[in-house]
Amino acid sequence: MPARHESFGKDTGLQARMALTLFLLGLVYVVFVGVLIAAGAAAVTVVVVALVLLLVQLFSSDKVALATMGVKEVSPAEEPELHGVIERLCVQANLPKPRVCVMETQMPNAFAMGRSRKSTTVCATRALLDLLSPAELEGVMGHELTHVINRDVMVMTLASFFATLAALIAQFALFFGGGFGGGYGRNNEEEEGIMLVLLVSVIVYAISFLLLRALSRYREFAADRGSAVLTGRPSALASALLKLSGTMERVPSQDLRKAEGMSAFFIIPARTKKSLMNIFADHPPLEQRLAALERLESQLQGTA
Amino acid sequence: MGLRDILTGRHSVQGPAPDRLFAITTAYVTLASEHQIESRGSAAIVFQALATSEFETTLRETEEVVSATGGESGTKVSSQNDSYGYRWMVLKNPEASGSVEDLAVGINAVSGSIETAGYGERLLCAVFAFAAKDEKIYFIYNYKRGYWYPFVPAAGEQQQSTERELQIKAQMASELPMEPEVERWFPLWGIPI
Repeated sequence: MPARHESFGKDTGLQARMALTLFLLGLVYVVFVGVLIAAGAAAVTVVVVALVLLLVQLFSSDKVALATMGVKEVSPAEEPELHGVIERLCVQANLPKPRVCVMETQMPNAFAMGRSRKSTTVCATRALLDLLSPAELEGVMGHELTHVINRDVMVMTLASFFATLAALIAQFALFFGGGFGGGYGRNNEEEEGIMLVLLVSVIVYAISFLLLRALSRYREFAADRGSAVLTGRPSALASALLKLSGTMERVPSQDLRKAEGMSAFFIIPARTKKSLMNIFADHPPLEQRLAALERLESQLQGTA
Repeated sequence: MGLRDILTGRHSVQGPAPDRLFAITTAYVTLASEHQIESRGSAAIVFQALATSEFETTLRETEEVVSATGGESGTKVSSQNDSYGYRWMVLKNPEASGSVEDLAVGINAVSGSIETAGYGERLLCAVFAFAAKDEKIYFIYNYKRGYWYPFVPAAGEQQQSTERELQIKAQMASELPMEPEVERWFPLWGIPI
């Protein structure tokens, strides 16, 4: 029997784009930190505040989100099929079993939360379970588990640290008229320094916002790909995405608005309005995701 | 998984761990003599069947080879899909006693040829069917981890007797390399044996 190499080729393009985005983010941040240090020691306070915020976000965001979304943990006896699908995927992905939750809503969607493999929650909505076949459900859950394997919550939170910091500084500077420069005997030089920090913060925020959105889209592609590799069925995920996006358009907008803040975590974005431009979107357009999955299926069939 | 893999969101599916499948061929003696847990003369292997002609050819050839070599001991091979879309290859031996070696050799032949064909990362588990009187007991071998664990289904949908499983772990820990993390004792529903 001839030894095969791999069912799926490497996606070097995607990795290169992701590396470039991370590099650019890092570059923006290095410049930002440089300006902060040059501006003076008072900025250190802001950095400490932001660090604390980051830690709080990292350790509690999943719990807060789960609590506000009305998510309920389900036992294997309540949801045998969902548990069965996830258990087999966990064997295949060599993961410990996550907490399994269901959200009672008419919006078909799924998300995964948690900062590490050990403390993970995967959640499917009731409409998703009703809508998808077991193979399609497996594709969607594979996508969510790949987010866990890739530690996407952690990566995105850390990557957005300086963007949060920049936003904080800009607000501080605006509300207190640059008060964080401190002291009574302020002179023109200090005024200029504060204006410079404010300006740089705004620029850092704007650039890192776009870069973070790009990073989020690349991580979605990586999760689609990871799911296809994990399950060996790229077309099942493609079929699930088609079904989901078709149904999302008919979902009452009340349900959508409730879930909009969580959009970045979902497999399909929950949004009442379409984004004007792709560069502001946290998910790649459906056509591009389907095309990527189609390429994987051709690689699998050996026709690419 | 390294930092670089995390940053670039790249991961590959893990292949099989070092093989400890044959531990069952000595453990079954103790199971029968000391704990009255007897083999039911069947074993199965579960994997993801890729929907490609190449993979199906591999499976057909494997089934032929195992049927041919299992002919002496009377081992029968069949395959079927379960409701989750996974493929089971089932080996049945007419005489329950003393068949565990034959079954292990057969299962190893199946996993071996799937691995040689380059699909090793599609293998999930091997399952050996045992029983203590009327109680069904399965021993599951996880290919990704290279560990064993017991699985005892109980009455009711997707119910299992964790107490019994932990008892068996205590009894057999010295003979079978048991999965140390109990949260990875994944039950397998829809075992066709």
